[in-house]
Amino acid sequence: MQRVGSIKDPVMTFDNVSVFFTKKKFLGPKSVIKAVDSINLDVGHGEIVAVVGESGSGKTTLGRTAIGLQRATSGKVIFTDNNLNVDVSTARGRRWKELRKYLQIIFQDPFSSIDPNMRVYDALRIPLQSQGVRDKKEIEDRIYKVFSEVGLPSDLLWNYVFQLSGGQRQRVSIARVLLFSPSLVVADEAVSMLDVSLKGDILNIIKKIQNNFGVSFLFITHEMAVAKVIADRVAVMYLGNLVEIGTADKIVSNPLHPYTQALIQASPTIDPSLRETLRTVNVRGEIPPSNAHPPGCKFHPRCPFVMETCKHNIPSLKEVENGHYVSCWLY
Amino acid sequence: MIISVKDLRVYFSSSRGAVKALDGVDVDVNEGEIVGLAGESGCGKSTLALAISRLILPPGKIVGGQVVYEGNDILRLSPNDFRKQYRWKKMAMIFQGSMNGFTPVFTIGYQIREVLEIHGYEGDYHDRMVDLLKMVELDPQIADRYPHELSGGQKQRAFIALALALDPPFLIADEPTTALDVVTQVNIMNLLKKLRREKGIAILLITHDLAVLSEIVDRIYILYAGKVAEFGTAKEIFESPKHPYTKGLIASIPTLTSTRISGIEGFMPDLANMPPGCKFYPRCPFVMEVCKKNEPELRTVGENQYAACWLY
Repeated sequence: MQRVGSIKDPVMTFDNVSVFFTKKKFLGPKSVIKAVDSINLDVGHGEIVAVVGESGSGKTTLGRTAIGLQRATSGKVIFTDNNLNVDVSTARGRRWKELRKYLQIIFQDPFSSIDPNMRVYDALRIPLQSQGVRDKKEIEDRIYKVFSEVGLPSDLLWNYVFQLSGGQRQRVSIARVLLFSPSLVVADEAVSMLDVSLKGDILNIIKKIQNNFGVSFLFITHEMAVAKVIADRVAVMYLGNLVEIGTADKIVSNPLHPYTQALIQASPTIDPSLRETLRTVNVRGEIPPSNAHPPGCKFHPRCPFVMETCKHNIPSLKEVENGHYVSCWLY
Repeated sequence: MIISVKDLRVYFSSSRGAVKALDGVDVDVNEGEIVGLAGESGCGKSTLALAISRLILPPGKIVGGQVVYEGNDILRLSPNDFRKQYRWKKMAMIFQGSMNGFTPVFTIGYQIREVLEIHGYEGDYHDRMVDLLKMVELDPQIADRYPHELSGGQKQRAFIALALALDPPFLIADEPTTALDVVTQVNIMNLLKKLRREKGIAILLITHDLAVLSEIVDRIYILYAGKVAEFGTAKEIFESPKHPYTKGLIASIPTLTSTRISGIEGFMPDLANMPPGCKFYPRCPFVMEVCKKNEPELRTVGENQYAACWLY
């Protein structure tokens, strides 16, 4: 049987992946936090898939699972590229080290993800050496190459990281990721901390890397507008579940899940005429705490279209139109 | 006019010399008006908020200018007088992390009551508290809860309730929704609109998120490197921006209808070592010879719109 949401020739396949965190209170009951709950998702070669959701939706955990920083509680995370076909969540030893080259991550905060007391050159040299590149000339060549790729002048290589601005640091993060010609890069809110004037630059660099090197991205963001600009496909997450998957255009022009609709209604527009009116978002309340997921459809307490069945039965992802999946009892 | 900032200069002393966070800024807010203040990080927008509420700490120093509140220069008051006469009563402030401003060991109700008590509210504390919580659309029972029992959005609402405790006619909101989720953000913005409409509160709203600003403000000031680059009504600024910096900022906003977004090349100059001439010229696509030598002044470029640029 074909899995829900599968595509041809994926670089990464999440096959029924769950990540649970167990918390044990002293003398108290155990509580289980289902951060990622039975997720099926494929990322194609050279594709940018955006994962959109509010805080607490599990999008960061999913990203960490993709590159093996977080092991899956159950399910498989299959990486297929460079003659490898490995389950990332069980890889160990030498195989694990090799995988690290192809699976990379850009973090949200460039002020804490690079050691500020290092020279920029060293911040790029050390990962290369740790992967066994010894030749000085080769190290230098590769560093200069990735540095120009992200549009930084090479004299910055000899600066200390703390001397760089946020935008420059985030470019260094991207350069660092490119050192090993990766197959898949997880960008975890990579532009959220940046000023609006720099966001566009960084997004354009990511787009360029996708085009020139065929790198796939799992682009995690809370902003639907950013997802629309950068992604080929968008996956919307709510409390650990995927609620909708589709092309970026379809998700924005024809959102099916009430939650996706709410996210789109809440996306700001540039419209000074709205200032006398209140904006309506068709959703109640806020995301519930992570240890108390509602039964049935997890979205039902906030849903404007809630029906009796939603309160008891969990909907599964259904293909409503070609490549557009939604998990909602309305469809 | 409720508050008028005149030629305000705030410098921070550092080993590299004075960092000019604000270098001669004029901003006016009228009664019942929502005024936006926007710009990149480091442009001085938060420093302005702190200067108005007299919260600049060393090594920062207000080296010049006035903040005139209903005719009085509040920078001349002694800290004690300012605290007694102005803080909470005439102006209150909401911060980005203000939901974390509640102490975790007391209930929300206790903390609101404390403000009422210390600042000499005349009337029944409990009734006032219930009114305040209702005003920000919270269940009054929340008063008995501790901050950690509330969500981020609820805490931000509770903090707004606290800010409104003594009925200030002027509110400063510094990135009030930046740490919140998109749906919650819309709700908080709706709440600010409602407060203005129903209580006539004037708000100085500071955020780097221009799209959010565009939907709420009457007028907007664009700050660049400690100076006002352009200001005008929301309609003028968003529909016909004049300063190349404003144009660049607006073109950089991602929206659901944009297919690609641009950015602004380069970075803000070092505030301790500013170039002569226009502060924006190294990044400006329309740079001319004059820009490198002389600093432009704010000039009329529309009915209520002013820009500091040699193009006009």
